[in-house]
Amino acid sequence: MGHKELMVGNKAVAYGAVLSKVQVASAYPITPQTTIVEYLADFIAEGKLDAKFIEVESEMSAQVSVQGASWAGARTFTATSGPGLLYMHHPMMGCRLPIVMAVVHRSNKSMQPDHTDLMAQRDTGWIHLYCEDNQEVLDTVIMSYKIAEDDRVYLPVALGLDGYILSYTAEPVEIPDQELVDGFLPPFKGRSAPHPDMTIEEWRANQARGAGGYGTQKAWIDHHENMMAAKEVIVEVDEEFGRVFGRSYGGLYEEYNCEDAEAVIVAMGTIASTARPTIDALREEGKDVGLVKLKSFRPFPHDEFREMAKRYNAFGVIDRNISIGSGGVVFNELRSALYDVDDKPSAIGFHTGLSGEEVTPGMVKRIAEKTLKAARGPVEPLVEWV
Amino acid sequence: MSKSVPLGKMAGEEIVTSGSTSCQGCGHAVLARLAFKAFGRKTIFTLVPGCIWITLSRNIPLFSTGTVFEGGGALISGITNGLAARGIEDMNVVAFYGDGGTADIGLQGLSAAAERNEDVFWICADNQAYMNTGGQRSGATPKYAQTTTTPASDIRRGKRTKRKNLPFIVAAHDVAYVGTASIAYPSDLVGKIEYAKGLKGFKFLHVQSPCPTGWGFSPSDTIKVARLTVQSGIWPLFEITEGSDFRLTYKPRELKPVGEALGPQRRFRHLTDEESQEIQSRVNGQWKQLLEIDGKRLPF
Repeated sequence: MGHKELMVGNKAVAYGAVLSKVQVASAYPITPQTTIVEYLADFIAEGKLDAKFIEVESEMSAQVSVQGASWAGARTFTATSGPGLLYMHHPMMGCRLPIVMAVVHRSNKSMQPDHTDLMAQRDTGWIHLYCEDNQEVLDTVIMSYKIAEDDRVYLPVALGLDGYILSYTAEPVEIPDQELVDGFLPPFKGRSAPHPDMTIEEWRANQARGAGGYGTQKAWIDHHENMMAAKEVIVEVDEEFGRVFGRSYGGLYEEYNCEDAEAVIVAMGTIASTARPTIDALREEGKDVGLVKLKSFRPFPHDEFREMAKRYNAFGVIDRNISIGSGGVVFNELRSALYDVDDKPSAIGFHTGLSGEEVTPGMVKRIAEKTLKAARGPVEPLVEWV
Repeated sequence: MSKSVPLGKMAGEEIVTSGSTSCQGCGHAVLARLAFKAFGRKTIFTLVPGCIWITLSRNIPLFSTGTVFEGGGALISGITNGLAARGIEDMNVVAFYGDGGTADIGLQGLSAAAERNEDVFWICADNQAYMNTGGQRSGATPKYAQTTTTPASDIRRGKRTKRKNLPFIVAAHDVAYVGTASIAYPSDLVGKIEYAKGLKGFKFLHVQSPCPTGWGFSPSDTIKVARLTVQSGIWPLFEITEGSDFRLTYKPRELKPVGEALGPQRRFRHLTDEESQEIQSRVNGQWKQLLEIDGKRLPF
């Protein structure tokens, strides 16, 4: 099934878009996302992808133009990084069209990766999925369309991959057969798509499905409800992907080597991939600490963490971000989710890898060991920079 | 080139419905009625924030959507490409934006869409200030005009600089069509839309839309004010076809004095004779230049 190629993360993104038969793409060059645009332009020029590419003058226009195309009924794709993502913020806010966007993480204080770019889009109402390797990147592009276009959801998806660490690093990636992808992902049927033979009344009725109107509080409620509905859709899509392609990613999160663990560390993106062998080594030493890889940051798996809280005595949350003046975004949300749990486990926080600083297995080991200690008694400090 | 359509021969269906919440005497309402009659039902119109979205859009029962203020050019580009990807090529994709969404915050996206020669029709309904937010100056506000951010006093004389030359900015992108129009000249306006809507590529129509509320004249005088600005040469009617063929579409034998057009507008009431004279000389000079290039190819 399929075939393997050695490819960098940005090429995996572009392959995902090709296999998903994207009809309209638009993007503006920015490091480290740029080569996605180049790969797509090449795929179109070689006839591997039959899509319109809108050569825009800015990320804001890339974002708005794919929204226009999606509204008009086309499957759309865009990609950006750090500052470009910030420039998209205005049109991203509140968008309710099933666009898929790759975010090649770039710090707001360096050109190297951290998650401050996508975390700054926390409240825009997009689904946020974080990837840890290039295979997951390609697979997540395809899954993202299936999630975004689901009638229960109908929301945009941003999928994150760490700049440089994935974007420019080659790994073997299996490219699934087009026929299988076609079977998994049917053609897009846009809710708001106009057609010359359609009456305005028909079109309005079609467009209004599930979407509260602008100017009302209901618009926020509906958007939030669709986002929460995405939780089960993400799980379903991941399971179906597993059945069809033989790979799955746990849906919202993956518990790795967590059996009978006393404590778990929580990591996102490539830090999760660094953590796997470290956790394996610790388990071999008899230290009962596992890894929870958080893939879906929005919707956030609050209930699922509460369930996990019954099994683990401590969570050590690694944030490759900081909300300045508050702290780790994931740490704060996870800790808040545990508030109502009886016999609460402890939750401690770590900031690391900001501005692309290297996160080594040794650092992850320290984090895991401190978390294990927290499972047995109080530790100081509650949050630290590693 | 366009052919003016006599009022009695305007065949299209009336699309715009009555009962909009626009101000009495709003130029945009007149423009919408004429323009969408010319475009017909197979039309998508798009919005960015402004008077049109707030007061008129519900009275235009066509496919429509809107976006952020700065996103107008990208939105229509996305729509036309999205439709083309679905094999739909026979719909008019119309931008119906104000001067802010065109000349100021929207200029970057306008330029980019024009440079790509996207198959869209952009109408700028120009009331020469941010009227929806209460009448602040824009890049399309003429020199000396009073707005809420350019008041006139002994030391400040209204807006300090001339308005942007929007049609020539767009024409410099070598697009399918550029024209100016006035709601006081519906035959000319409708003729231009009828002609240009059939062209493939980027079409731009810059329509002056007098605003009784912002300019300070009686709501019953909208058409009169519009007509006087054309007759005095302040708002010349022309078109640029094939990328650079320039043609005046209305040539009065003699221009009326600018004072006749500016007189009824409160925003110019503070003008000294010297300032009026400056406007008159500039209009005279520009008119002379336009007559010189009439019927000729522009150097771009």
